[in-house]
Amino acid sequence: MTRSAWWRRFLVRGVFWRQLLRFAILNVPPWIEPIIMAFWAAFFLLWGPGRRGVMRNLQVIKPGSTSLANFFRCYRVFWNYAWTIADNVRFKELRTIPDWEFVGWNHFQSMQASSGAILLTAHMGSYDLGAHLFSETSTRRIVMVRAPEEDPETRRFEEHHGAEGLRIEFNTRATELALDLLETVREGAIVAIQGDRVVGPISTFPATFFGRPSTVPAGPFALAMAARVPIYPVFVVRAGRRRYRLVTSRPIEITRSRNRDDDFARAVAQWMTELEAVVRGYWYQWFTFEPAWPEVSA
Amino acid sequence: MNVIADHPEARWLPSRHRFAVGKLIAFAKLRGTTQSVNSAERLIFPIDRDQTAAEMNGVAIWIFVTTVCYIAAALPLIWPAAIIVAIPIAAIVLQFPTVIIGPIVRMLIGDGNHIKIISVIAMSLLVIASSYVAASNSWARYAAWFFFAVLILNGAAAVVVWLLRAPIRAAEERCAR
Repeated sequence: MTRSAWWRRFLVRGVFWRQLLRFAILNVPPWIEPIIMAFWAAFFLLWGPGRRGVMRNLQVIKPGSTSLANFFRCYRVFWNYAWTIADNVRFKELRTIPDWEFVGWNHFQSMQASSGAILLTAHMGSYDLGAHLFSETSTRRIVMVRAPEEDPETRRFEEHHGAEGLRIEFNTRATELALDLLETVREGAIVAIQGDRVVGPISTFPATFFGRPSTVPAGPFALAMAARVPIYPVFVVRAGRRRYRLVTSRPIEITRSRNRDDDFARAVAQWMTELEAVVRGYWYQWFTFEPAWPEVSA
Repeated sequence: MNVIADHPEARWLPSRHRFAVGKLIAFAKLRGTTQSVNSAERLIFPIDRDQTAAEMNGVAIWIFVTTVCYIAAALPLIWPAAIIVAIPIAAIVLQFPTVIIGPIVRMLIGDGNHIKIISVIAMSLLVIASSYVAASNSWARYAAWFFFAVLILNGAAAVVVWLLRAPIRAAEERCAR
């Protein structure tokens, strides 16, 4: 191992923190856990780029808020993130499931009954845990599409410690993946994609988010149109210690007309309305550590 | 893992609590609850001893405050300053059982779930520390006495839970139906 590779494992996205989290899940008594969470959430406030990213986003979500207030809000985001990733690892390692509340059950049921669907979600709550729950309780096959871990060692660690019964595809090989996913949806599976931010060189659609120009990944909308399936906005929200709420909204149907741009624009607008309402209500669980609106000054 | 679906009152199942005092309170709540109201359309409650937030957060705060008192009493500072300094120290000290004993246990018995053994060791260390502080002349002895009072109360509650085991089981079965 080279010297540069040695210290990379201790960077914020390095494998060391994943290993430490797994160790903690297998060793920390639950009656000490809240203190440990509070400590480590405070420790990760030292991660400057992440902290600044969250605080910049909060400036837009909560206009007129002060930097001091946003600093404490940022701590709340980190606190919720710590619990969320801990619950996710706890499920993978110990099969411990949290309490679940379902809101929009009729939409959730219609998604399960559909012959193929797109599950569009955001970097909120525990999307991993939600997908695992879905794969355990549903007869439908679920395929998760996500951005790969930046660090190769972290990627290998996550692959090794992944949950069974859940297929994960990475959005790095765009063309092959699109065809593969199209076939998967047509076979009746559900494809889960995060549609709140653009990571890497992927095609996008313009959108308006909190009144400002933004972009969203084009993939889910194009896939839904090609496969002629609905898009279900689903959000997994942390409602307390080991308690989650799965919110399913009314489906987004992409109707085909002569003007495809308008068809996509309508669908994107509906998605942004749903996303904005959820992010406004649960800003402390929107785990976007990069500035969502880069033009907003620090 | 067993789960109960669509019974809001299932959150009060004594089996979803770890400590005897928590189990007794939950049993009282379960008996007093007729039909809880919940905005969710469907619910899933796993039966897990560590599931209840109020119990675990309550114990965590109690342990943290007790540790802060012990550390503050040992610091050569006036007590308000000592408490402020003791807060971050206590947050670090409470991780020692895990970071020191955890790897040793892992080395001895291999990788896996060691929560139970570390829980016992951590609580034993707290009992030893509390015994020392309780016998001292420090102001922190009141925190140590309170610590033992809670342990005794939980012990008494455990006896009551054992005596009530049949009604508790019956109430849980009624809820699960």
